[in-house]
Parts: sequence; C-alpha cells; structure tokens
Amino acid sequence: MNILDIRNLSIVLVSGNKRILAVDRVSLSMKEGELRGLVGESGSGKSLLAQAIMGVLDEKWIVDADRFHWRGTDLMRLSVAERKKVISKDVAIIFQEPMSCLDPTTTIGAQLEEAVDDEQLTGYFWQKKKQRKEAAIKLLHKVGIQKHTFCLKSYPHQLTEALCQRVMIAMALARRPMLLIADEPTASMESTNQSQIFRLLASLNQLKNMSLLLISHDLENMTHWTNRITVMYSGQFVEAGTTKQIFSTPFHPYTRALVDSSPYANSKLEPKSYLSALPGSIPILQHLPIGCRLGPRCPRAQQACVDAPKAKNHHGHLVSCHFSLKETY
Amino acid sequence: MMPLIQVNNLSKEYKLPGYLFNRKTFSALFPLSFEIQAYKTLAIVGESGSGKTTLAKLLVGAESPTTGNIKLNGEELQTGNFKQRCQYIRMIYQDSSTTLNPSLTIQQLLDEPLKLNTALDENERSTLISETLRQVGLLTDHMNFYPHMLSGGQKQRISLARAIILKPQVIILDEALASLDPSLRSQMINLLLDIQHQMGLAFVLISHNIGIVKHFSDDIMVLDKGKVIEAGKTSDVLAKPTQRYTKKLIMSQQFQQFSK
Repeated sequence: MNILDIRNLSIVLVSGNKRILAVDRVSLSMKEGELRGLVGESGSGKSLLAQAIMGVLDEKWIVDADRFHWRGTDLMRLSVAERKKVISKDVAIIFQEPMSCLDPTTTIGAQLEEAVDDEQLTGYFWQKKKQRKEAAIKLLHKVGIQKHTFCLKSYPHQLTEALCQRVMIAMALARRPMLLIADEPTASMESTNQSQIFRLLASLNQLKNMSLLLISHDLENMTHWTNRITVMYSGQFVEAGTTKQIFSTPFHPYTRALVDSSPYANSKLEPKSYLSALPGSIPILQHLPIGCRLGPRCPRAQQACVDAPKAKNHHGHLVSCHFSLKETY
Repeated sequence: MMPLIQVNNLSKEYKLPGYLFNRKTFSALFPLSFEIQAYKTLAIVGESGSGKTTLAKLLVGAESPTTGNIKLNGEELQTGNFKQRCQYIRMIYQDSSTTLNPSLTIQQLLDEPLKLNTALDENERSTLISETLRQVGLLTDHMNFYPHMLSGGQKQRISLARAIILKPQVIILDEALASLDPSLRSQMINLLLDIQHQMGLAFVLISHNIGIVKHFSDDIMVLDKGKVIEAGKTSDVLAKPTQRYTKKLIMSQQFQQFSK
C-alpha cells in the first residue's frame, strides 16, 4: 500500500498581487519501507515539497493538490490541527546543517528528552524523569553513539557535524516515525562522514522498515543508497523510476544531461576532456519560462514544449516530456 | 622543462598560547615539496584540518611559511611582496556570493586588481574587463550589474574573471566547484579546462569530490594531519591506493555502476 500518495501538487507563492507557481503539479508516491531519492538542483522546489508534506508552510504559500493522501486519509480535508496531529505522529524530518538546527544554549540531553513523547512513558510521575533519560540514552544507542554520557552533557558546538546529525536523527526517531524525510542531510559535510550518515539512514530503513525520502541536489551521491528516484527541475516533475532505470536509460533530456555531466558515471571518459553540459542557467522564480521549464536549455526542445507535458507511464518509469528519449534506446 | 612552480620543504607552525617555559607550537603543515608544470593540475585532497587550506594560504601569500620557500619560474617568492605575488598566483574561493563585495558593480570589482597591480589607464582597463568577461562566457553588459543580480554560476564566473584578469600563471581553486549545482558545475569545469588550455595555467585544485579530481587533475597529493601520505599521478593513486585513508576516501564515494 502507498503510505504517501501525492498527485498533482502545486504550491503557489503569493507576493503582493503576483502569484508565482513555485511547484507545478508534482506527483510523488511512496510505499511502505521504500527508500526514495528526490533529486533537483537549487530552486527546484524539493525542499518546498518536503515542507508541504510536513504542513509547515505559512499562509504566504498556497498548497493545492488533486490527491494528498497519508495512509488512506485525505490530508486536504483535515483542519490544520487534525493534520498536524496525524503528521507529527508518523512523519519526521531532518535538515541540513544540524549545528544550526540544534539549540546552542541547551545541552543535547535536554533537547533529546524534550523530544521523547509522554505516551511512551509508563509509570507514575515520579518515575517519568528517569524513564525519559533512559529513553534518550536508548535513542542515542540506536543511532550508533556509544558515549552517551559525554554526548548528553555536551552542547551542540562541542560535537562534530556528523555527531550532531546523528543527534538530529535520534530526535526524529523519538516518536517512531513511519516516514523520515531527510532534507540534504549531508550538505557541507566531509565525504567520509557523509557515507556514515547515509549508511545509518539505510540501516534504519532496513531494520525498522521505516520509509525514507532522501532529498539531495547531487544525483551521484544518491545512486548507491536509493531504490527509486524522483527528479525535479525548477518546480516541475521530470522523471521517476527505479535507480537503475534513471541511470542506464534516462528518458528525459534533463536527466540524461545530469547523468552525463557526472564524471563518475562515465568512467570511460578521457581525463580532462570536455563534459557535456546544458547551456544557460537555472531560471529564477520571477522569470519562469512557460510550458516545460527546461525549454530554453533543452537540446530537444520543439514548438510543442510551450505546453507543459503530462507525465507518461512506461512500466513504472514516469517521464514528463513531449520528446522523450525512449525511442533512442 | 622547468617547472612553473616549485615548492621546497614548505611548512607552517602556529604558536599556541603559553608562557616562557610552557610554549607550544602546533604544526599545521609538515615540510613538503612538490612542483607543478604549466598546463597541469595538482589536486589536494584530505579531511578538514589536514592542512589543505593552510597550504593554499601559504601559496597565495596570506600566511608566511615557517620553513621552506616557493619558487615561481625559478625565482623565489618573498613573503610580503604582494606586488609580485598577486600578479602571478590568484585564488578562487568556495562561496562566490560572499567573496564579492555587494556594494560594488562588476566593473568596479574587476577594476580593483587592475588599479592596484597595473599601470593601465581607464579606457584600457575597461576594454580589458569586457574582454575578460567575454572570455568567461558573460556579456559586456554585465559590467554594470551588481553581484546580487547574478545567479550562483554567474557569480562563480565573475570570481574566475577576477582571478584571470591579471594574466596569472597559477590559480588556486579552494573548493571552488563544491557549492555549484551539477549542471553548472560541468559548465564551470569545461570553462576552466578551456582557460587552462588557452593561457597555459597551472591549477591547484582543493576538493572533496573524487569524481572531479579524477577527471580534472594530472597529479594528486593526499594530506592527512599536515603530512603528505600519498602523492603521484592521479590515475595511479586512485587505481591503486596504498594508504588506508585514501582507500577510505575512495570507498566513501562509491558509485553504483550500471552496465550500459
């Protein structure tokens, strides 16, 4: 069963009397225990999508969707309070730059204990303090921190970035979520630490059957960890499929360009030769092209591209392009 | 062929606070030597705190070395002689949006190194700026723009323009490609390769990304805690790493290979 089912989600930014379509009809569905990657360059609306799922966007943003289901309940019909209740019970999110997300004035221990839910504690009120502390220690063990006494006593600045991210993951795990959204969890981290965090997330996904939505701007990093990938560009849905489909037979010219531009993917490439690159740069929100937003940069663009294409399904490999590369394989 | 830049026994120690009998020093960089030819790229990889940035600072002259010297074309570079050094060794930083002065236009930004280092008059400077802008793939019109009006990739191009405007011989790229989006990054790599080919520059590339290092560099130097633990041709070192740290670094950026 799909735990998360989003069909044609649009997010509109209202500024003054102008309406900017920041995310344009994006679909995303997640099965239980799935590890999905969401890839897009800066300004592609991937963080907005994550925030829309969490329901933390303020009134400047208008979220609209044909279908927005969380485990069978329609989130669009619920009131804000009800929705918050449902989401905060089952979904957790971690952000990039963990150091800046943790409270610098409080110890890690106090922050972790705050995250532990009252319902999980059994016993009388005088036993609760001790139980809370034990729960915090248990959470730290879950994310692979052995030195819990040191960690609980220290402030965020005393720990390394990777440790802080582990603490963030521990906080996210406190309510035993069914879905964890990791919004660029390893940005600005050393590559050895990066792989540690990815390995932890992958093992949580395997052991606890927790679904994981991994958001990143870099396609390269994702391939090793994800089963399925969704690609976005400038707020539009581009392509979705299994990691293998996306990598060996990308149907969309943009995905093709992303795969080709990574020196890692083409190991046969001569060193110091030119990489294939799309011309131009990512459009800014104020000047979005009409129709397919890749249009001005796309090597295959034709007249039909001024109308935004609809997503087509080829055996579970979704692509939204009028002139997909399917025939070329 | 004479190497373009030659580094002998370069090292850096920092004094830690302490009194007369309790003086301690911290060695950020142990003595190291290397040389780079024109048209070549040296990649420096290592964890944070391994002395990569210290080495970059020493090369560019922002810090004075404790021991050793740097020779450019056989001529020794003195510390503190910025006239000589600014001309030939330039640096590009990681975050281009914070290294450009937001209150100056692109023309003023690029004018500054010219005013300080050359004897050109205003018209010559202005033509040189527009030439350089075209060389990095921007337009002459961009001269009147302010940095905030440009996108991230364009700002990084301005940083590159600022680096090459004095016709240097060495450019140091301190994580200059890390913060760019993948599609812009490959554009930037192509541009850098192009400029290297045209001007015969030597690059010192400081990077985490093994993929880029593999593609872009000729030689590699792996630093760990201020010591060189492995050095040599990039293809050799990456194919057969001997040190544990290098292996770990390569393993951590494993890439799932699919048969095409």
